[in-house]
Amino acid sequence: MKTLREMLAEARQVVPEEGPEDLQRRLKSDAPPAVIDVRDPDEYRDGHIEAASNISRGFLEFRIAGAVSDPTTPIVLYCQTGLRSVLAAKALKELGYQTVINLQGGYQKWAQSGLPVVKDVAMTPDQIQRYSRHYLLPQVGDKGQRKLLRGKVLLIGAGGLGSPTALYLAAAGVGTLGLMDGDVVDITNLQRQVLHTTADIGKPKVESGTRTLKALNPDVNVIPLPTRITVDNVMEIIKDYDLIVDGSDNFETRYLVNDACYLAGKTNVHGSIFQFEGMATVFAPNEGPCYRCLYPSPPPPGLVPS
Amino acid sequence: MQATEAVKLLLGIGEPLVGRLLTYDALGMRFREVRLRRDPNCPLCGGSPTIKDLSIHRAGGDACAATPNGHAAAAGAPAPARAGG
Repeated sequence: MKTLREMLAEARQVVPEEGPEDLQRRLKSDAPPAVIDVRDPDEYRDGHIEAASNISRGFLEFRIAGAVSDPTTPIVLYCQTGLRSVLAAKALKELGYQTVINLQGGYQKWAQSGLPVVKDVAMTPDQIQRYSRHYLLPQVGDKGQRKLLRGKVLLIGAGGLGSPTALYLAAAGVGTLGLMDGDVVDITNLQRQVLHTTADIGKPKVESGTRTLKALNPDVNVIPLPTRITVDNVMEIIKDYDLIVDGSDNFETRYLVNDACYLAGKTNVHGSIFQFEGMATVFAPNEGPCYRCLYPSPPPPGLVPS
Repeated sequence: MQATEAVKLLLGIGEPLVGRLLTYDALGMRFREVRLRRDPNCPLCGGSPTIKDLSIHRAGGDACAATPNGHAAAAGAPAPARAGG
């Protein structure tokens, strides 16, 4: 009979091991591996690597095909200390997966290295119902919904573009929405700025916006920022967010948001409308162009009516 | 559209509008997609950037127009729209 020590030694002969920094580097590359946490679900919930899916060791051979269909996709497995996962990795090699790597030291070493981990708090029955249609979408599911709930989006402008965007993001359960606008609600806004109501005329837009968004979805933490974005506050404000949605109404702000997002490495979801025409694009630093690539300089004053 | 893009980016799914400009004409009810390329001479994200911080925005008045000489406007890009609010 083989001892555990012998089994582990055998597995290590066919399964390469990499440390937490190697995995972090792979996750940031253009072709990130599939990461599978083979621990039990309660261990996974208590803290895991964000990119990881949970397939417990006992179900691994049964469920792996659903998670990774292409046998050439690199897979990184981990458990708590790296022992269960090395045996699991050997089983995947035997199933025909070509590149299977064991995370050396497991979750414990990852967390001790100070790398980011996420904890899954239990969804309430209301949340399970509220997001049930997201759970039905294979691209979203429970994991995606948790990503949305952890997501932080800054909306610059609570007007014609910011209003519908904020409503949809709040409804979808994006956990933190920064709502930034220095204006008050005017009656002429109401025909398109659907965050605000007639009773809100004269109130700050972020106040009526926050109330509307909280009423739609109390899960969402709305951060009202009743100020204009300026060169002095932009870097400090955007640093806390994963994504910036630019729904501003003037060129100075667009260039400022563009420059600040590029310098801070933040993706900027850009939109603009004029009369019956609209446009949208995404400026992702170093992945695509920025607003200045598209519009090196603003049109002369008077060319574009206000 | 911005909300959908934001959700996709948060989830890391689908193809976001990076390098593509989607325009929408409500009267004609037509969408058009324009491919956008990075400008190698872009003063912000080009090969030899001249904008390395936000100080240009403190200059006052001309903050948007950081256009070096010979920096051509992106071909085929629609005129920028003003209103958002």
